[in-house]
Amino acid sequence: MRRVAVIDQDNGSRTDPPPPPRRRRPWLPAVVSLLGELLITAGVVLGLFVAYSLWWTNVIANREAERDGNEVRESWAKDGPGGEEKKEYEGGDGVGFLHVPSMGGEVLIKKGTDTDELNKGVAGYYTDPVEAAPPWEGEGNFSLAAHRDGHGAKFHDIHKIDEGDPIVVETEDTWYVYKVYETLPRTSKYNVGVLADIPEESGKKKPGRYITLTTCTPILTSDYRYIVWGELVRTEKVDERRTPPKELR
Amino acid sequence: MYGWIWRHLPGNTPVRALLSFVLALAVVYVLFQYVFPWAEPLLPFGDVTVDEGRAGSGQGR
Repeated sequence: MRRVAVIDQDNGSRTDPPPPPRRRRPWLPAVVSLLGELLITAGVVLGLFVAYSLWWTNVIANREAERDGNEVRESWAKDGPGGEEKKEYEGGDGVGFLHVPSMGGEVLIKKGTDTDELNKGVAGYYTDPVEAAPPWEGEGNFSLAAHRDGHGAKFHDIHKIDEGDPIVVETEDTWYVYKVYETLPRTSKYNVGVLADIPEESGKKKPGRYITLTTCTPILTSDYRYIVWGELVRTEKVDERRTPPKELR
Repeated sequence: MYGWIWRHLPGNTPVRALLSFVLALAVVYVLFQYVFPWAEPLLPFGDVTVDEGRAGSGQGR
């Protein structure tokens, strides 16, 4: 904003133009009041930032996730039942859906954990630093990450997942039903071992078909990581009506 | 600051109030659309992946 000041002819001090009653404001109150206004402004801006982080980013991300999810479902419907499933994906491609009843809702799964993709309200599977083994590729660890707060907050309720709970991955032609066998409520953000093909920290020593969910903890910060491990129990072919496995009914 | 803006808005009180409201909305829009999306990745609140600690690499949120 352009600051217009006029020179007061009486004493040459800078004052604001019209307000006739008080021609010359003493400088100290003016400075104090400016400082106060700036502080109030800063407070309001920070409050708005909280609203942005915890509310607005969810609005945006959920909108995008819904659109992208619908796109995936439409392309599946077009292929029809029994269509050849695509197994090669590029970063950012929607590959299926994650269902965790104890956490609620379904989450679109995309390849890659880039910020830009995760911000679209999806769960991304790792390509780096440890490449995830998607369930259709057999043995390995299908490691996923999603936001705990904001940007869809798809893993917000990860702490509600208990051992024994089902985790279901839905792809075009298969339901992969996992069972949670271990959780790690707090670990270092540099603990890439949790993503290993055989996540030894979870107590596993033999190759298998695992799933790993990672997000940040405690809520609203990202000092640590929260880890949930599951192991594949069985797979089910998707039928024509996409009847969900009994864990989701 | 706000007093200065108020005094420089044209029109009578209702018009000024309306203009102030529009100005405030514009500021909120700019914040949500440009400033916050820029600032957010710089703050350590949304990192959800584990990585090897290449700090600030952008990867690993």
